[in-house]
Amino acid sequence: MATEHADDELAKLERLSEVYAPSGDFERESSARDTGPYYAAAEEVLPELEPEDPRVSGAKASAEGKAFPVDRRDFMRLFSMGAVVGATACVRRPPETVLPYVTQPIDMVPGVATYYASTCGLCSAGCGIMVKTREGRPVKLEGIADHPINQGGLCGLGQASIQGLYHPERLKSPLLKQEWTYTPVSWERVYKVMAERLKNKKRVAIFTGGATGHRHGFFRDVLRAMGSSEELLYTWEPNGLHQAMAKAHHVAFGEARIPRIEFQEVQYVLGIASDIHEQGISPVYHAKGMSQGLSYQNGKMGTFVQLESNMTLSGAAAHERLVIAPGSEALAALLLVEILYDHPLAKGSNEERRLIKEVLHEHRKEIAGGWDALGISQKQLSAVADALVAKPSLVLAGGSSAFTAEATKLQLLTVCANILVGAYGKTLILHQGWHTNPVVSGDVQRFIADAASLDAVIIIDSDPLFTLPAALHIKELFQKIPLVVSLQAFPVSSDEVAHLLLPAHHYLESWGDEQAVAGLWSMRQPVVRPTTESRQSEDVLLWVLAHLGKNLPYADYLAYLKERWQDLNRVMAPLVGFDTFFQAVQRKGFITQFSSQVVGELRPLATHLRGELFAPKKDALYVVSPLDHRLHDGRGAHLPVLQECPDGLTTATWDSWAAMNPHTMTRLALKRNQVVQIKTPAGEISLVLYPMPGVHPQLLVVPRGNGSQDKRNTIARGVGVNPLALYAGEFEPESGQPITAATEISLTGTSTMYRLATLQKHNDINSRGEIIKNYSLAEMQTREHMTKDLDTVPDLFPTLAGAEHRWGMSIDLNKCNGCGACIVACSLENNVPQVGREQIILGREMQWIRLDRYFAADVDHPRVTFQPLLCQHCNHAPCEPVCPVFATTHDPEGINAMTYNRCVGTRYCANACPYKVRRFNWWTHAWGKMGERPQDRNPRALNPDVTVRTRGVMEKCNFCVGRLREAKHTAKIAGRKLHDGEVQVACQQTCPSEAIVFGNLNDKFSRVTKQRSNGRAYLLLGGDPEHGHYGLKTLPNVNYLAQVSHQARDEANHHQPAASGHGEQSEHA
Amino acid sequence: MRSFRLSLILLVMYASSAHSWWMWTPGDHVDNSTQSMMGGYHPDQPILFSHAKHAGERGIPCQFCHSAARRSITAGIPPTSTCMGCHKLIKSESPLIKELTNFFAENKPIPWVKVNALPDYVRFSHRIHVNAKNAQGEAMFACQDCHGPVEKSVTAEQWAPLQMGWCVECHNKEREPARDGKPAVRNAPVTCNTCHF
Repeated sequence: MATEHADDELAKLERLSEVYAPSGDFERESSARDTGPYYAAAEEVLPELEPEDPRVSGAKASAEGKAFPVDRRDFMRLFSMGAVVGATACVRRPPETVLPYVTQPIDMVPGVATYYASTCGLCSAGCGIMVKTREGRPVKLEGIADHPINQGGLCGLGQASIQGLYHPERLKSPLLKQEWTYTPVSWERVYKVMAERLKNKKRVAIFTGGATGHRHGFFRDVLRAMGSSEELLYTWEPNGLHQAMAKAHHVAFGEARIPRIEFQEVQYVLGIASDIHEQGISPVYHAKGMSQGLSYQNGKMGTFVQLESNMTLSGAAAHERLVIAPGSEALAALLLVEILYDHPLAKGSNEERRLIKEVLHEHRKEIAGGWDALGISQKQLSAVADALVAKPSLVLAGGSSAFTAEATKLQLLTVCANILVGAYGKTLILHQGWHTNPVVSGDVQRFIADAASLDAVIIIDSDPLFTLPAALHIKELFQKIPLVVSLQAFPVSSDEVAHLLLPAHHYLESWGDEQAVAGLWSMRQPVVRPTTESRQSEDVLLWVLAHLGKNLPYADYLAYLKERWQDLNRVMAPLVGFDTFFQAVQRKGFITQFSSQVVGELRPLATHLRGELFAPKKDALYVVSPLDHRLHDGRGAHLPVLQECPDGLTTATWDSWAAMNPHTMTRLALKRNQVVQIKTPAGEISLVLYPMPGVHPQLLVVPRGNGSQDKRNTIARGVGVNPLALYAGEFEPESGQPITAATEISLTGTSTMYRLATLQKHNDINSRGEIIKNYSLAEMQTREHMTKDLDTVPDLFPTLAGAEHRWGMSIDLNKCNGCGACIVACSLENNVPQVGREQIILGREMQWIRLDRYFAADVDHPRVTFQPLLCQHCNHAPCEPVCPVFATTHDPEGINAMTYNRCVGTRYCANACPYKVRRFNWWTHAWGKMGERPQDRNPRALNPDVTVRTRGVMEKCNFCVGRLREAKHTAKIAGRKLHDGEVQVACQQTCPSEAIVFGNLNDKFSRVTKQRSNGRAYLLLGGDPEHGHYGLKTLPNVNYLAQVSHQARDEANHHQPAASGHGEQSEHA
Repeated sequence: MRSFRLSLILLVMYASSAHSWWMWTPGDHVDNSTQSMMGGYHPDQPILFSHAKHAGERGIPCQFCHSAARRSITAGIPPTSTCMGCHKLIKSESPLIKELTNFFAENKPIPWVKVNALPDYVRFSHRIHVNAKNAQGEAMFACQDCHGPVEKSVTAEQWAPLQMGWCVECHNKEREPARDGKPAVRNAPVTCNTCHF
């Protein structure tokens, strides 16, 4: 290069200021879009929500300080010259040793996975899990396929719990508080200290989480043996739906049971602030049931209507959603009962109707004046009532968005409604296989009353300081107790009041059992040797008893369990010896014997429904704090894979937020990402705003789960805010559940802006064409019998032939409810690293499958669609020809394969990919440690069957090719072909709503082929083949099944609803 | 100004060489060692175990000890208890066997040096190769096809180059030639994700 010329060039460069920093925000301006009826965020339709300067305080790393006086091309020229100099290093591999076992366990083959059945221990749903272990180490959890509750599925929380097992921040040994410091002590010392301090103490208590098996019974036995009273067992679960439902059915029928839904019978479900798709009673069971019972099939589709003020996943999944005023759930139920009562088709015996009449009489004032407060018209609710009585239906109410002072009243009114629609015995089952209540209602209130008189309390697997409203001063109560022992599988906030911190076994290291449904006993067994110096909680208690000289006659908890299971043996399998029985259950994971029990007659309810029902003020703002659908009450907050799994509706990660109606935000001149101060008489918090379409204009939604201040918890510490500071600590009188909804707030905007790490627009393909297809039910009935051939596209490519398999996937948009379990399962199966908030803001998330969430129609009444998006495995893949090193190639079986060791990181493929599914490793994630950065993960939790990628390498979904190969080898060795459904990919396997089907497209009879030729199938960006438009002609092996709605398409997609509201639309229902 | 530009150019060149060193060298899986380049790697082992004695002279089948080979991705180094199954009684006084017994008595695994090592991004499965059958239903491979005449050597040696070309050569052999417009049937697939995923 001539000198003058180079000088000219450099002079030009000096004038340019930026090299590789993107000049603007990652998120495109909302004006420059053509997105059809769908929008991914509220600011696309309400641009005034957009903050003025997108480079807000949280995004320091994104755009600032990258200015560099050389432009990109010259930088690359200079850079490559230097790179030649650097690329001379040679490294010899050091000799490796292979350590075989000294004595290999029987049945154990190195390199072959062993599976153990157990029961998930993260919530009270009691899902059965099959734990895949390699060389004695759990690597993946999967639902047991024939378990009656989860039927093979598992939620994200359950999937992620394996990270909790290997979490490096678990306590390594017991800690004893001396003066102000904690010193590690031996277990022997712990027992001695505890025995010393508990000697002759009469008021020893246990504070523990929910359990449905023999655990609480054992704790009671221990307390009795200690000389304390079994009254001093306090149980606490933040999911209060169980308590409210159990209490209501106790009042109504004399039995504290929670009805089970017979999904096969249901055609119409009305949810009143139901969180059936989030936590609910049994999230996976309900998701499976809703999917099997209500989603579109063969020209028929059930209906799910949701009345709610918050925007929940259930509301998003609902066919119709009516927005009611905050806290007016009980009022809505009352008005519904009133309409149903007068309905000519209403069911119920004369006696039942008389009792319901009493209730209505009690509330005649609200019935007369309630419509105005409720926010929906009588016509709309009447249409719902018409459908309810005409079809096999049920009303489902309550959930963490409705823990108001009327949670039990809501349930009682729902009982009335269900009687009038004839649900009991038909769609709601109370006489057999009902759900059990994991806690005793009102225990927390009891604890608060008793705390001052207690001599000691042992907290086991519960975090009362974090999960109860701060206004209850739980901390002060605990501090007054002379001895507090905290026995936890993972350190929790409550440890700060404890004198002794004891590491308990993770549930994967423990013995236990659950009876989440009456008559269904699930076994929990240890699947790994303890990974730290932990002990099984129950065994610790037995040892303490032994040191007190007050032995229970059991060597350990297993012996206790076996004694209890002997009773089950006698009832369930009297002809089988105990060892055989116990081993058989261990092998299978569960045993069932359902027996029918008579349900009592309806009892007078009116006395329990006294008092005027809450009606919100017209001009006030209210707050509600539902449980986060991923993190629950915070029990998942220390698991990086869950923090990084986006919230279904906001798509936010690593944070908490305040979701608000976009119109309210514009009215108050608030912006997206603006930090607001939320005040109640009880306390105040500052939190970032997210404009959430569909939220009632008077409501602010702040999810629970995040906000841990615990220094030892490096994953959750400093992430988000705990909204429980806002609540006065009042209890709902009947079920004893703290109120976390419908609390009036005052809100002030601050000048601080904070970037929420949301994922939705990072890989935005919404403006590229018809991403979501939608048919009305009527339209679909005419299309049901048509056969589609998506694979015949006029082009010049040779057709693929010759292979036995062509792997394909079909994703039903009607079934997906945005729970995110697929993301967690995929991350764990494929060693996908977690990158942390800053990297996500930079657009560097690594998840191979993402959940795109779209809104359509008016921002106050949006229709929501979730679209799981993974590599589409295009047969004519745009990413393949652009790779200069053939690192991404096409497999004859249709898989778009990625060869990591070939990849040099040009990222051309990511540019070429129209679906934006390729992920680039900007870092080698430090697999050896965890804690310095949130994304660092413990290597012991890695799947040894999948390569760990390093910096500079592109990656993406590979259709779980490792699983495919494993299954193919097994079939080949057995001399047979793979049969349909034999291989399940990780996302499909775990999907609680069975939205994903995977299989061989060359097999005419496989499920996936049938779905691909269905009249509902379409290819993403595949145009409209029926009218000769073939779109990009990428010919993906993944197809989607269009959404089916009850409304006509134009009506459903319309941005602004007609002035008359949504009343007419429910006529189809 | 000129010196500024010059220093800028030098700085970028220096930075990029540093960057490429940082980006592509140690810590991760750099694997261009001579050991797997050409075969012939023959490390010393903690105990002078003789394959010639066991497999050659005494004719013990390979899979008697390496029993995982037909079931697993790995052939498996036998656990010490397998050795002790015989050597509790046989030649228990020999000095080499005493070394073995010591390991066993102390419940310590024997730190065998890995001979046939593949990089972490290669996923080879013994199971499918050991069980592979030809059209006549006979086993397609003997262990020696890849591991060489182990029964003649004392400690194990890397016999094959274990390079991709060597793998592909066999995978790519036509079992049935292309005919009637049908593609040739090959021994095994050669797509990247057969081994790399």
